[in-house]
Amino acid sequence: MAIRKRKSFFDIINEYFGDVEELANQFEDMFMEKPSWSQKNCTMEPLKDVTVTPKEVIVTVDLPLAKEGTIEVKPLDSKTIEISAEMKRKIRFDDFGITHHKGEFQRFYCQTRIPVPVEMDKVKFNLKKGILEVHMPRKRGERIPIE
Amino acid sequence: MSEITIIEKRNIAPDATMLFGFPDVGLVGVIAASHLIEELNLEEVAYVDSKLLPPLIVLHEGLPHSSLRVFANNNILLAVSEIPIAADIIYPIIQALIDWGKNKKAKMMISLSGIPIQERQDAKELKVFAAGSTPEMLKLAKEKGIDILGEGYMVGPQAVMLQKCANMKIPALTLLAQCFYNYPDPEAAAEVLKSLANITGVKVDIKALLEKGEEIRLKARDVMKRTQQELSGIKKAREYDIPLYVS
Repeated sequence: MAIRKRKSFFDIINEYFGDVEELANQFEDMFMEKPSWSQKNCTMEPLKDVTVTPKEVIVTVDLPLAKEGTIEVKPLDSKTIEISAEMKRKIRFDDFGITHHKGEFQRFYCQTRIPVPVEMDKVKFNLKKGILEVHMPRKRGERIPIE
Repeated sequence: MSEITIIEKRNIAPDATMLFGFPDVGLVGVIAASHLIEELNLEEVAYVDSKLLPPLIVLHEGLPHSSLRVFANNNILLAVSEIPIAADIIYPIIQALIDWGKNKKAKMMISLSGIPIQERQDAKELKVFAAGSTPEMLKLAKEKGIDILGEGYMVGPQAVMLQKCANMKIPALTLLAQCFYNYPDPEAAAEVLKSLANITGVKVDIKALLEKGEEIRLKARDVMKRTQQELSGIKKAREYDIPLYVS
């Protein structure tokens, strides 16, 4: 007989705050207006999209002016990946004709939540026409038998 | 007083072709319009003033401009919006622009836009499709080698423009280049401009547009993001639906 280890009080509290933090992040993404750049981190947030297919989850990210060899895709936890890439050249606000902000950008940076369980250790990616494609095989659960 | 006023800054030449470039999938229309303004050195001749528009101005060299303006030379009137048009004001805004264009004796109206395709990054070449307000306009498009968008749904300002022009018997076309749904697509804008040149003879340097494609994509991220929000509001994805016609 398998012995199930009981969760400690601190594990339960940690899980609870983890869930609350995730909900807060989702809420922020949905309703809060924020710039698509960070002056502090010198990063720009790229446009991205997530598609779930029967076999895999595909995340695409628009990375114009990204240096191909510098693209990094890292799992942060079982539900989140972090994508970053260096730009071919520094982009300044002046390049867009903006003079009331100062700063320059050297990297793209974004995090993406994955909506279904995936095998994070089998993530593959490629770049086509400046669009990054991240492929993540889905984790298969138990099949439910037909009665 | 009407809810929408179009304020003219210059005299408008008659017999021009009126073009529309509004934020939509791939920002095809806006990127194409922006390139036309730059290459043909088009001048702002009119703008839309309306309480229906959001409380927003576009600042250029410190001076305020409407987000919805008309640029022109002697042959072209180009209506362009820098922000996506919200679903509930598409009808009155498009109707006002068409009425104004008709009043200015525009000889034809053409909207420039995109039609999203899956696996866009794998596409070797991008096709342009046309839909017309009259059988004669479809014939013209076919003669110029442009495929006709035979069956399906069209959603957004270009759909309303075509329907209104059909109602008012104005010769009109909507040109739709295959494009990304969610990402700015300068290549698609270049294709739609090639088809526009075929139809109207208005030619611009496409190479210049393609060369600065990456810069355009970077610059257009925020407008694209806002446009995505409006696209879901107007149920743009209906264009993927298979229609059930009651003939």
